[in-house]
Amino acid sequence: MGRERRDGRQMSKNRLRENVAAYIFLSPILLFFAVFFAFAVGFSVWISFKQWNMLISPIDAPSIGFDNYSSLFSDPLFTASLFNTIVYAFTTTVAILVLSLLIAAALNNIKNAAIWRFIYFAPSITPAVAVGMIWGYLYNPSRGIVNEVLGWLGVPAHNWLTDPRYALMAIIITAVWAGMGASILIFTAGLKAIPQSYYDAAKIDGASRIKMFWAITLPLLKPTILFLLITGMIGAWQVFDLIYMMGANAPASSVQVISLYIYNTAFVNLQMGRASAAAMILFVIVLIITLFILRIFRQGGIESYE
Amino acid sequence: MNKKRGKITGIIKYIVVAGVGVIMIVPFFWLVSASLMTLNEFISVPPKWIPANPQWHNYVDVFHHVPFLRYYLNSFIVAISVTALVLLTSAMGGYAFAKLNFFGKKALFRFTLSTMMFPAFLFLIPNFYLVTLFGWTSNYLSLIMPFAVSAYGIFLLRQFIMGIPPDLIDAAKIDGASQFAIFTKIIIPLTKPALATLAILTFIGQWNSFLWPLIITSFSPEMTTVPVGLSKLSLAFSTYTNQNLILAGMVLQIIPVVALFLYMQRYYIKGIVLTGFGGI
Repeated sequence: MGRERRDGRQMSKNRLRENVAAYIFLSPILLFFAVFFAFAVGFSVWISFKQWNMLISPIDAPSIGFDNYSSLFSDPLFTASLFNTIVYAFTTTVAILVLSLLIAAALNNIKNAAIWRFIYFAPSITPAVAVGMIWGYLYNPSRGIVNEVLGWLGVPAHNWLTDPRYALMAIIITAVWAGMGASILIFTAGLKAIPQSYYDAAKIDGASRIKMFWAITLPLLKPTILFLLITGMIGAWQVFDLIYMMGANAPASSVQVISLYIYNTAFVNLQMGRASAAAMILFVIVLIITLFILRIFRQGGIESYE
Repeated sequence: MNKKRGKITGIIKYIVVAGVGVIMIVPFFWLVSASLMTLNEFISVPPKWIPANPQWHNYVDVFHHVPFLRYYLNSFIVAISVTALVLLTSAMGGYAFAKLNFFGKKALFRFTLSTMMFPAFLFLIPNFYLVTLFGWTSNYLSLIMPFAVSAYGIFLLRQFIMGIPPDLIDAAKIDGASQFAIFTKIIIPLTKPALATLAILTFIGQWNSFLWPLIITSFSPEMTTVPVGLSKLSLAFSTYTNQNLILAGMVLQIIPVVALFLYMQRYYIKGIVLTGFGGI
């Protein structure tokens, strides 16, 4: 009996030690999250109800209730930014999804696939700022090669990045060009995971290629598509670098997105409260979209996304 | 007939892959070509595709016209420091979450994952306030510390460390090894592939990072990183007369990441496939 008690004491001592060790290992992380996450989120919420210009202490800044939120929606530039972000996020995400699936399928079992994959992937490791600059030159109305090449095909020259009708579309094309590589890699991994025997069995039953794509490939790629939709949407809703670099010469209402609106409001106009309110709205929208996509896919038979 | 159809789809496949492939590569080709042009060639209408005489000295001149070496150095200091810190904190957190039992483990892990849902824009203002409060705005800590911990890195390493056989750790424990010894002598050496993946993702992400350095360096220009420095030159388009030099700078900006990618491709692709992010 004495021994049992000693064992028990030994065990609880070990458990205590393990707890202490774990919290020592976690201490830098917990400190970081306390400061740069928990405090930061709380601060954002708090500031979003204040009128603060960063020149005085935030405690002294006057509280103005929901004014920051309500004034955002009466600001035509904010609603335009919201609209542009929606257009940008949906078009870019869907175009990347469709194109990269197509190309991943074409790359499957092709010769020299590794080289092609590198070519497609190169824009993904290129800094977004550089991508924006390069395409800024390419789209130049008189000296850019985009108009030059389109001219060979008989398409008249356009002012791609200054004409409000084309600017956002031109940026979206660049974003798709830059963003396909990573999705192609992920689709390639997804396609490789589908057992060949499924296709063999379908072939015996006389299924056509298109039928096989709809009945086998697409359903089995559902987790991959879900993953790319969510990460793509979350990323696209926060696009900044490309718009900052390429949208500078177009009328703001035609290309401005929420992230740029937040940046300008906060660090150009010094309206921290208003910018925080816009950031909170961005967060809620991203959260709703994520949950919505998850819900659609769950109804389509995906149990959990992990 | 089936064979013939297979051949036709093969050709269509190749046309799609090569056709889109050309569109992928032409901007890079143009970039390198234009970076070797004289200013007159660069601004000529219609555009020139290839310089008559490659102006290799553009790559030297860029260092004289702008403090490019300083930009480069700043970028390296920040990217390497953040990478080192992220590796350390992720390995420590990953080990705790993978192999130790402690009070509140499940809740803390869920919390860590949930932080990834918050858009970066929510943190611009509070983090700016914090680095001002800490007096960091004029030194590198302002560019480094807000990125010292990565929830994604913790998650990645936790998944990897979970795969390390418990026998190894138990044997070390019987030999009387401390938790610190287990971490440094067993966990770290066995986690090298995951650490390499995380290192390359973090480095490239930081090297390409733009928004935060843009905000910080508008207050302390001496810490300007390469992307911020080049973007300022590029946006001052009409007033700046050495536009072709900017392109040389851009090539120099891209080279380190492409080199790193080619050298550690295997790890990078693993990271991309695991996360879907080109950078973090």
